[in-house]
Amino acid sequence: MRRITNTFRQPVGIAVLGGLVLMLILPAFVQTYWLHVLIIAYFYAVLASSWALLAGYGGQFSFAHMAFMAIGAYVGGLVAIHLNVPVVLSVAIGTLAAGFAGLIIGALTLRFKAAYLALFTIAFSEISRTIIRAEAQITRGDRGLKLEPLFPDSISRIPDYYVFALLLIISLAFMYWLVQSRIGLFIRAIREDEEAAAARGVDVVRYKVLVFVITSMIAGIAGALFANYVTIITPNIMVIPQMGLVIAMAIIGGVESLIAAAIGAILIQISLELLREFGAWRMVIFGALLMVTLRFASSGLLTTIFNRVFNLGPKAELRKGTVEGAAEDGT
Amino acid sequence: MDYFISLTITGLVMGIIFALMALGLTLIFSILNVINFAHGEFYMLGGYAMIFLLEAFVDVPPILMVPIAGILVAIVGIVFEIAFLRPMHDEKIERPAEYAVLITFGLSFFLLNLALAVWGPFPHSPPSFIGGSVRLGPILVSADRLVASGMSLLLLALLLLLINKTWLGKALRAVSQDKQAAAVVGINSDVMNTIAFALGVGLAAVSGALLASTFSVTPDVGAVPAIRSYIIIVLGGMGSIPGSIVGAIIIGLVESYGAGYFPDPSRALNYKTAYGLVIFALVLLIRPQGLFGRKE
Repeated sequence: MRRITNTFRQPVGIAVLGGLVLMLILPAFVQTYWLHVLIIAYFYAVLASSWALLAGYGGQFSFAHMAFMAIGAYVGGLVAIHLNVPVVLSVAIGTLAAGFAGLIIGALTLRFKAAYLALFTIAFSEISRTIIRAEAQITRGDRGLKLEPLFPDSISRIPDYYVFALLLIISLAFMYWLVQSRIGLFIRAIREDEEAAAARGVDVVRYKVLVFVITSMIAGIAGALFANYVTIITPNIMVIPQMGLVIAMAIIGGVESLIAAAIGAILIQISLELLREFGAWRMVIFGALLMVTLRFASSGLLTTIFNRVFNLGPKAELRKGTVEGAAEDGT
Repeated sequence: MDYFISLTITGLVMGIIFALMALGLTLIFSILNVINFAHGEFYMLGGYAMIFLLEAFVDVPPILMVPIAGILVAIVGIVFEIAFLRPMHDEKIERPAEYAVLITFGLSFFLLNLALAVWGPFPHSPPSFIGGSVRLGPILVSADRLVASGMSLLLLALLLLLINKTWLGKALRAVSQDKQAAAVVGINSDVMNTIAFALGVGLAAVSGALLASTFSVTPDVGAVPAIRSYIIIVLGGMGSIPGSIVGAIIIGLVESYGAGYFPDPSRALNYKTAYGLVIFALVLLIRPQGLFGRKE
């Protein structure tokens, strides 16, 4: 039986609140350079936690998450350049485009077992990248699409920091609400046993596609905002090793807990910065850590350590009961 | 007409080479029931092994080093299989299907970054087998590609002999059909799993070694061949050996015609792999079991 950490046990609740306050007051103490590092860390945290929702809760192991991120970034960027609309609108259009792409891919891959879904999404992701590179007269290919900054008048990075901090907080809160709602229980019921869930009346098609669309949109908004923050987007952002990094973050953090995946991403991004002198070997270390986590601590390295330290033994039986109960009164 | 024939020949030559790599993937899938998402990285390691061997033994003809490169890389595969895949078959892992996807993808991430750390991002190239080109009917084909294709054909034949005519092949087929029944007659499925994985990644490495001089080697060189192999095995039918050979030849031809007849030559090469995705989607929608697959 797997464990799903209950995030709002008391000591954890206090920790979450403390983290939230820390996130919001941090710009007062941190230099611009580290603000930049944190912005990137939050960007990855949004991606890792939304992938955790799709994979860890929904059981849909997609390798196309970075492709949806890039679709959000490119569509947003192209709209901003050609239609000359404000950033807010171009980001919104990019997000919708990512959601639409997610709808198509999600519907197409609906009936796939784990391995087929992975095969299809990895191919979709690489081929989208090749097409973006090839259509250089539209996307500017490897030279990259240049975009307006989020805050053209500001020299400090503090406004950008708050954009990404809020993006992370809001998307985590939304996803947390989603998994606690009936929809979340349906999603987990489908993951445990798709046929049993369907037999008890859960609309499997609807909820599987819904999760796919929601997580694609979260990836898309993160991509569109990030593209405007770094002011350039190239196809390199969606290479398979980037997807691998996001997956490593989610899994090392804990793929069955949204907040653990987000913390995993932030800690790994900060360590990547601190371990700069190791150069390319840093990724080798994280690759090895990813494999060891999968083999020996499948609920996540951080989650396992955290549970050990705070001695939180999740009650597996309790959760089983809720999932079955939810399936029973399914729509 | 000459143009069509030349595209057909190129397509066939490449298709045979693709078949070798796809067959490795099929072999692993049919015995272990695992799709190896690190297949491209074993192809890449094959290329680097080839470069290493040719630098270490300058006087030996390059073609003889191809099987040795395959064996070196197969050892890496054996270590991985025993450490990370065997526990799955011994029922020590929950949700084995998802674990298999993630652990092989994790290996791919690890190996790619390892190659980047060790050899750097710049292309390396071993000396060619013969060099120059050969006239085949109306067209010129690069001699190295012909050598690679001939060698692939030879290895394909050997592999089919191994699977169909030897005791080992019989044991492998037995495990692929029914693990329990195989165990009853005394076939150790753990050992067969390891052998199949080693053979499968060895084939990927051999393809990498054969094509190392044609396309130089970089850490991410395996991505495109790996995705092509995924498309081939789905097209041919997962786990079907004739399926992956026929699938590979179809994909070889489609890529060749697709690139040859694309209106804008500067973008044609980039779109080669995109045709595969269209085929992929069509197969999954119309005939999910593939050309030669059994319906589940």
